[in-house]
Amino acid sequence: MADKEATVYVIDLGDSMADCHNGRSESDLDFGMRYVWDKISTTVAASRKTWTVGVVGLNTDTTDNEQEREGLEGYDHISVLQPIGPMSMTALRELRSKIRPSHTSGGDAISAIVVAASMIDLFTKKLKYSRRIILVTNAEAPIDDDSLESVAGGLNESNIELTVIGVDFDDADYGFKEEDKSAVKAQNERALGKLVGYCDNAVLGTMAQAVEELATPRIKPVRPFKAYDGPLTLGDPSKYESAVSIHVERYFKTKRAPPPSASTVNMKPEFGMSQMHLDDDGDVDMGGAEFSGVKQMRTYRVNDPDAPGGKRDVEFEELAKGYQYGRTVVPFSESDFSVTKLETKKDFTILGFVPSSSCEPFLNMGETGIVVAQKQNEEAELALSALIHALHEVESYAVARYVQKDGAQPQMFLLKPNPGIEDDFECLYDVPLPFAEDLRTYQFPPLDKVVTITGAVLTEHRLLPSEDLTEAMSDFVDAMDLSEASVDDEGRPAEYAPIDELYNPIIHRMNQAIRARAIDPDAPIEPPAELLLRFSRPPKDLLNKAKRDIEALINIAEVKKVPEKAKGRYSKKEQVKPLSGLDIDSLLGQSRRTTISPDNAIPEFKQIFATAADDATVENATKQMGGIVRRLIQSSFADLQYAQAAENLRVMREKLIEHDRPVLYNKFVTALKKSTLSGELDGDRREMWAKYIVGGRLGLITNDESEISGVTEEIAKDFLKAT
Amino acid sequence: MMAWGGDEERRFGGSDEDEEELDETDFKTQKDAVLFAIDISSSMLEPPPYGNDKKAAKDSAVDAALKCVYQIMQQRIIAQPKDMMGILLFGTEKSKFRDESGTRSSYPHCYLLSDLDVPAAEDVKMLKSMVEEQEDPDDVLVPATEETALMSNVLFCANQVFTTNAANFGSRRLFIITDNDNPHDGDKTAQSSAAVRAKDLYDLGVIIELFPISRHGKQFDISKFYDDIIYRDPAAEAGSSDEVKTARSGDGLTLLASLISNINSKQTAKRSYFSNVAFELAPGLTISVNGYIPLHRQQPARTCYVWQGGEQAQLAQSETLKVDSEARTVEKSEVKKAYKFGGEYIYFKPDEAKKLKESLGEPDGKPIIRVIGFKPRALLPIWASVKKSVFIFPSEVGFVGSTRVFSALWQKLLKSKKMGLAWFISRSNANPIMVAILPSKNPEEDGSGSLALPAGLWLYPLPFVDDVRNVDLAIKPKNADELTDKMRDIVQNLQLPKAVYNPAKYPNPSLQWHYKILQAMALDEEVPETLDDATIPKYRQMDKRVGAYMAEWKEEVASKAKELMKSRAVKREVDDDDGGARPAKRAKATTKKPSGLSNNAQLKLAVEEDTLKKMTVADLKDVLASKGLSTAGKKVELLERVEQWVEDNV
Repeated sequence: MADKEATVYVIDLGDSMADCHNGRSESDLDFGMRYVWDKISTTVAASRKTWTVGVVGLNTDTTDNEQEREGLEGYDHISVLQPIGPMSMTALRELRSKIRPSHTSGGDAISAIVVAASMIDLFTKKLKYSRRIILVTNAEAPIDDDSLESVAGGLNESNIELTVIGVDFDDADYGFKEEDKSAVKAQNERALGKLVGYCDNAVLGTMAQAVEELATPRIKPVRPFKAYDGPLTLGDPSKYESAVSIHVERYFKTKRAPPPSASTVNMKPEFGMSQMHLDDDGDVDMGGAEFSGVKQMRTYRVNDPDAPGGKRDVEFEELAKGYQYGRTVVPFSESDFSVTKLETKKDFTILGFVPSSSCEPFLNMGETGIVVAQKQNEEAELALSALIHALHEVESYAVARYVQKDGAQPQMFLLKPNPGIEDDFECLYDVPLPFAEDLRTYQFPPLDKVVTITGAVLTEHRLLPSEDLTEAMSDFVDAMDLSEASVDDEGRPAEYAPIDELYNPIIHRMNQAIRARAIDPDAPIEPPAELLLRFSRPPKDLLNKAKRDIEALINIAEVKKVPEKAKGRYSKKEQVKPLSGLDIDSLLGQSRRTTISPDNAIPEFKQIFATAADDATVENATKQMGGIVRRLIQSSFADLQYAQAAENLRVMREKLIEHDRPVLYNKFVTALKKSTLSGELDGDRREMWAKYIVGGRLGLITNDESEISGVTEEIAKDFLKAT
Repeated sequence: MMAWGGDEERRFGGSDEDEEELDETDFKTQKDAVLFAIDISSSMLEPPPYGNDKKAAKDSAVDAALKCVYQIMQQRIIAQPKDMMGILLFGTEKSKFRDESGTRSSYPHCYLLSDLDVPAAEDVKMLKSMVEEQEDPDDVLVPATEETALMSNVLFCANQVFTTNAANFGSRRLFIITDNDNPHDGDKTAQSSAAVRAKDLYDLGVIIELFPISRHGKQFDISKFYDDIIYRDPAAEAGSSDEVKTARSGDGLTLLASLISNINSKQTAKRSYFSNVAFELAPGLTISVNGYIPLHRQQPARTCYVWQGGEQAQLAQSETLKVDSEARTVEKSEVKKAYKFGGEYIYFKPDEAKKLKESLGEPDGKPIIRVIGFKPRALLPIWASVKKSVFIFPSEVGFVGSTRVFSALWQKLLKSKKMGLAWFISRSNANPIMVAILPSKNPEEDGSGSLALPAGLWLYPLPFVDDVRNVDLAIKPKNADELTDKMRDIVQNLQLPKAVYNPAKYPNPSLQWHYKILQAMALDEEVPETLDDATIPKYRQMDKRVGAYMAEWKEEVASKAKELMKSRAVKREVDDDDGGARPAKRAKATTKKPSGLSNNAQLKLAVEEDTLKKMTVADLKDVLASKGLSTAGKKVELLERVEQWVEDNV
């Protein structure tokens, strides 16, 4: 779909490119290649057949080009390193080995451009292409400036865009000037400048700027997608003559761009497992060719009391499709299937209008669309325009029902007018609204008053801000205002962090890293570009300006971090009481529990622990609980009692951590692991282990969870892994 | 360890993508189990006194309770298909607990009508016949005559139900519906043992919610008995009043409506999306908040595979095996994650992948909401929407004083019409996003009141520049003042009820239909033919209210359109004249205007005169693209497509 492109990079590989200049620790070539690799790898990433790339080396030791073969003069030391073609990883690897500085400087940059241009002409014929030549050089080798005008004319005729990026070229706009520039280079810069001037479509730039701009993430352009083309109605035109129908088109305005997604792969068998271990030493070139995609295969099982483990495999062919209604499974025949889908007709119709002030943005359920009138349809244009302006004037939004195409699920949209006063873009924006089922009613206490148990309403309370706090907060919020915290191109105050500066950090972080790895598989991962973390903290200047207000707020707020739970083995904790404050313990006290009954195990275990005064009580209770867990597993039919056993185990673990007795738990769970896996608990109990103990994170208590545990994270992981 | 493989391989079809956004449903303990305990006494069964209002319900309290349970059961099957429900009647003459019944039951006068489980079709069916046909096949709705149920037995019975059926559920609640505020009047021992059993339930992690019914104007006094039974959740938000609301008929509200509203408000267990997350207002000022998702798009359940080889249709559980290109099973340890790039894979070692991910997070890897500043609300573009918002509410668990600071911020943002801007990482290792922090008004001050959205702050996700599509259409505002004026009348006369979009009034038609059919199939009932779809506009009303305005407006639009068409035609001629030979100019890279044949009239002419095929493939593609049509295929196909479009649209 995308437009066709033919780009030829002309890269100066002359001996001087191997030197480092202007305080850089990398050679001119490496510096320049940062730009080139970035561009080329972007093309590789797109993997589009129609985006083609060619590479010409300038100042190469050897000579390899058509013009030279034809016997033309002045084409020495120019080599076609890669003919124009689609750019693959293989081509990238090959190219990488060819980009080395030479021992010569005998090539002519202008000739190289001619070589590139004729490659493009030959490849693209007269077809629709965007044609581009990018020259990267430090211009230390002499340039023949005799034929600048005719070369430029050729480029213009072929509609080729020329970009010249010079290492350490002077650029007043960017603000760079190389001191002690050699006379040759200065002259060459002028020559190249002239050439660019003769071209219709050309730019000259300095490499430092180009490299700097690489840090700005590039946004993948996406063609506008028309989601809807049809009437927007007010009323039902099929039944009422009065009904309004406006022919509109709908496009996406926002669409969440996904971060690069990883595929599941494994080593191709021919590379084998043995080599896997080599990669730690960096011996294997992990270019990627040795991987192949992993597919998923599904197997199906059903419960069968007669089968070992209570389950058996069934063939996919034996299965019918269906739905679950609660726990009832409802099989559907093919013909029944369509009935469950609501029959809908393509439709975009307005239900009514609401004041815009009644619409809170947080009701939005997703991505925005744009609604415009059908092109070249005067009636639609005027009608939609009138609707947009009417909505704007009375500060209202429309609520509409939207069915994208026949059979699609209806959605509710809020239509907001954009009268195009500021941006010359008159349209309606639409955002999806929630349905009744999407709403979960959660209750929260009020934030501006406290209601006591007795129903009294308090307006002064430790949970409510004092007047001082309210005022300090107000000053703080005003001081931290971002609406003028930035500056625009002309130095005027501008909004800080507007949406067009918000780059999705993970997308660009991953793209950077993937590209870097594609170009150089051995290079370590670099830290993320600063730009991506720019908005992770408030701007420094603003913080400095608001320092006083921040300090005042902190002082008045008196927020205190809750200390890590004070642990005491048998310290008397505050007892939980019902609303009445009744002391249940004293009721229980009359018959202080020492034994735990299996059917009320958790409450009784907790109650013993709550009042335990010595180690023996804890150990005894743990022992009893352990027995209950084992018996639950042992007597479980299939997995029926596993959840209960796991819950008991979880409570036991939690309480033993609280009481600083991790060893007691770790001993028990170690023994339990052996029992469940060895089959000594009356059958195959591996599911209990895998799903409930491993899956429920009920493994060993680590020294992270309890200081006195000698178990490290590593040991705990291994414990769960080993079977 | 990397976060993939094994159980995390959700979604059917083995999607190859990392699902970045885990929802709260992914935490399996986040399941909810509710056991309804309904008091069956003669007063609960007594029909309400006849009032003057003909519409007044004739439901007894038990009827109302069962109707309410029936409704909630149907809702939960749609909204929370993994959650459990059960019904326990107490005070009944009959006793039944699973296999035990009659005098053998360990819980006399407790009747477990439907055991705690994910509701099945039979449960719905049974309830339906009870509430709609007043059927009571087993005569269970008969109060005990001589002695009645001991509350300690009721509570222990509930304890057993939860212990065995919903052992590891994150939320377990016992809903008691009764009109008796003093079941053990004077019997201290009975009262004490009930209190002890209530403590057991508390220790088990079961929350008791009381739904008292007040009858004959008598106050339900919870201090008589229930204060000993009910505990507050210590982890609940500070300042939470957790008040017990009494249901009663009157004030134009039936007992049923009152009870349903009370139960509905507690129906969904409050599930937090995250808890105790640091909310950094400024360097040195951090408070703690919990996050919730009060708005979440509900989708019809996916299809499943059913095995019908046994006595009963049974769900087939699937397991995935990973296989390589040669269909060999791949061990978990062999599986790597790599990125497709230029037709090959780019691989990062696990520690590198981890490092990549961590480099955007906090040094301690913890989630964070960090305010970077504030802006006027007006700076939020109206189109800036990408996904649902997260609601946050203060918690004193991490920082004492969080609530008052949060409240001060909330009040300030409301008062000054400002919003916060924040960097937000919802979980450790989640990808950072930018959010606007927006305050919601107090429900009672909202005017609408009915929206039922809580007051607090919302994290409203902002689109990244990557998410914004550049729709390159310059559309200048038209000058149509009279049309606008007339349309204004229409807009003002077609306001939605109460001038607000209240989601509760618009059930999702696809979902409703799906479950209606499913229910009919599951219950062997007749499949309904139509759906009462609230999202369809009230056409008749619209015609009545603004029909005349609209007709008039339409006429005017038509006449203005003619004028506009004419003036454009003139302009076109002028352009053509001084442009000379048309197709020479090639548009610059700015707006991609298709060549000569851009407008419909010219296209039509070209079709009629059969000159269309003179266009180049590129030009045809431009035309198609401008109409939003596919540009794939050979020239013949492109030509056909253009012609078809002209035929259909011009």
